[in-house]
Amino acid sequence: MPQAARDKLHLGFLRIVATEAGYVGGMLVTNRLGRPLEFQCTTPVKANRTQEILYGPTLKPFLFSELIGVTLIDRLQVKPDIVLIDQQALLDLRKHVSLPIACLLEDAKDSHDLPDESRVSLGAQSLQVHVEHTCDVEAIQQWTGTIPGDADLREPLDRVREALEETLRSAA
Amino acid sequence: MTPDDTLALHNVSLGMGTPDVPVTGMNSALRRLPKVETSETGVTLRPGFVPAWKPYWPKPKTVALTFPEGIEFLPPKRENDDRELKSIAPPVAKSDKDRSKPKRPTRIKPPSDALSLQDRLFYVLQPPLESWLRGQELIMPFEPFPYQYEGIAWLFSQKCALLADEMGLGKTMQTITALRLLLRAGQARRILLVCPKPLIPNWQREFKLWAEELPVTTIEGNGSRRRAIWQIPGSIILLANYELVVRDFAEMQKELSVESGELRDGLGRVRRRRNHETAGESHSTLDSQLSNLPQFDLVVLDEAQRIKNRESTTAQVIRDIPRKRSLCLTGTPIENRPEELASLFEFMGVIPPAGSPDIRQLSRLSEDYILRRTKDLVATDLPPRLDRDEIIELTPAQRIAYEQAEKDGVMHLNEMGEEISIQNVFELVLRLKQISNMDPLTGESAKCDRLVADMEEIAASGGKAILFSQWTKTIDWLADKTKDYGRLVYHGGVPISKREPILDQFKNDPDSHLLLMSYGTGAVGLNLQFAGYVFLYDRWWNPAVEDQAINRAHRIGATESQIIVSKFICKDTIEERIDLVLRQKRELFNRVLGEGDNDNASLSLNANEIFGLFDLKARTKKGDAKPIGPKAADVAA
Repeated sequence: MPQAARDKLHLGFLRIVATEAGYVGGMLVTNRLGRPLEFQCTTPVKANRTQEILYGPTLKPFLFSELIGVTLIDRLQVKPDIVLIDQQALLDLRKHVSLPIACLLEDAKDSHDLPDESRVSLGAQSLQVHVEHTCDVEAIQQWTGTIPGDADLREPLDRVREALEETLRSAA
Repeated sequence: MTPDDTLALHNVSLGMGTPDVPVTGMNSALRRLPKVETSETGVTLRPGFVPAWKPYWPKPKTVALTFPEGIEFLPPKRENDDRELKSIAPPVAKSDKDRSKPKRPTRIKPPSDALSLQDRLFYVLQPPLESWLRGQELIMPFEPFPYQYEGIAWLFSQKCALLADEMGLGKTMQTITALRLLLRAGQARRILLVCPKPLIPNWQREFKLWAEELPVTTIEGNGSRRRAIWQIPGSIILLANYELVVRDFAEMQKELSVESGELRDGLGRVRRRRNHETAGESHSTLDSQLSNLPQFDLVVLDEAQRIKNRESTTAQVIRDIPRKRSLCLTGTPIENRPEELASLFEFMGVIPPAGSPDIRQLSRLSEDYILRRTKDLVATDLPPRLDRDEIIELTPAQRIAYEQAEKDGVMHLNEMGEEISIQNVFELVLRLKQISNMDPLTGESAKCDRLVADMEEIAASGGKAILFSQWTKTIDWLADKTKDYGRLVYHGGVPISKREPILDQFKNDPDSHLLLMSYGTGAVGLNLQFAGYVFLYDRWWNPAVEDQAINRAHRIGATESQIIVSKFICKDTIEERIDLVLRQKRELFNRVLGEGDNDNASLSLNANEIFGLFDLKARTKKGDAKPIGPKAADVAA
């Protein structure tokens, strides 16, 4: 891959937080060095009692992926090449979008429990891809030389969390 | 259907009587048997109410923030790309102490005056400075100290700021790095940096060291050339000295010849309203005033105490430079009176034009807009500074000359009576200080003897010393006496082009042990942290200036294990009396800035104090002696 294309790598960092008003999602798109390019966040989404009963255990994956995740990715003007998450419930988002999605694993030990075709390393982290989309491993591996080996990919997700807190504070 | 649900058939008799026939004649119809038909209907068992539910979810609303594109810089050209490969040391494992204390990343916080959510999110979403600066995007020659990271983050987020770190803590580096980040983040595209003339080479050097990729254009040359440089739209960082900025902007403002309307400062605020204006004129005036002057996203004032006097031309012209952000740098935000801060705050846009905040308001504003750290607080790894007052006995010839000069001088002043001005007293002080430095008749000097003795020891140990004096004449005279120590001379009389080579030689030549400097030229901005000794050959009027001088050596990166500061004070002379006053001043200075215990008293010698150095008494007509004090005009000055 030419250097110019490598430099244009855009990373998406998606996180959803639970608040009293409902779930709020935030997506930060950065360049390969972590500098912010675009941020989108949703208004709180809350299921009513009927929805909670009828969706049962599928409610959270539905809200996270189909409702919040898809909306955020649709609205982005700067499209990411990879979406990084640290919530397993968001992995199902991959079923609804055509972008590689990878979940940061807590520590290296977690990655040993996974089959080789579902895990990949990027920066300083081990990542897990959706079990039905193991082709994402290859898609992510092509960027490994573009991201510094000591890059902490968890840190931008903390920024998303702080930005969501700031948004909620200002809305209060 | 269950057995219980079977239908039962019943016979129903339909008895018909013979009704009375009413007169209306409808009798035939009433006699006819009713026709009964049956039809089969299903039995419903479903409940009567069926709730409908469709899985419809409205798409959540989103809030968007896009970040402005920053300026991309080409990597600096290397003169020789075939650089030799150097062997590097293997990484050293972190000690247990380092491991136990992971560094907390420095995050950029939204400024207190950022109200909109977008503004606040812009800062919250910036990466931690450590990873931003450690990345491949910005190469830093040295790892900044934690307090410097904090300073950079603060400067990045403030629209108006006064960085008042004590001298030697790296204001220059923090500023350059903040400018770098602002340019990269698209927050600034054109920056003006104003500094005293002697510091231009220093800033050029520091830019090259800390931000080699940033193009810096120095404003110099004749008027037309300077005008062209001011107007070049593509120049990103302009570096200029105060004198040229004031001259050029005063001229440009004059050419605009605004006849009517509101006059506005560089931040677009109404500065003065003319009596005959009409409302409609004000905006057009503003437009014409601002659009024709060079515009800046940020104006940085180094040694910002230059604009401490609000009414001075320098302060007025600089306040009118069109800009969006304002940054002041000074180690001494208060040189004389706390009110001087008001002038800096007006430039920063913190107080309205001509606003006069009281001490309490100034103190409150300081909390939001001033960042001041002292060495004691942040740089525990700085070498200790040992101050020692070297009390020196005058030589016999000096003593005779001194006493005679003081006696004659005081007598002369007394004879002048109430006519004397502060200038007359000042002249006597200077005369006595010069004799304390050296007897002009015999050339004897107890201070020089002490200096030579000290230098013997310093040179023998390979050390380096800086000496400060008020007079270039004294420096030139000392240069003759200290030839053996490879002395170098750096004062206002040395052409600017020759100054940098002198500093280089002092740094690199092992035979150069002494640098003779004047307070005016050498006290500010220079980095001489490789010198372990500082001599104050004579004393300046203001302790803040003396501190600036001392901190040329006592600063971050100091290579010596300790910095020894020797203050030469001749016993039983005017110097001892001045030292006492300065000592008291220094205590006051610490109280005002350190603890917010503000005081209106002047920190440099004021007129009363200068008169108080001598016991001046005028003879009245009755023959009595009456103390002489400064005139009202002198006190005001």
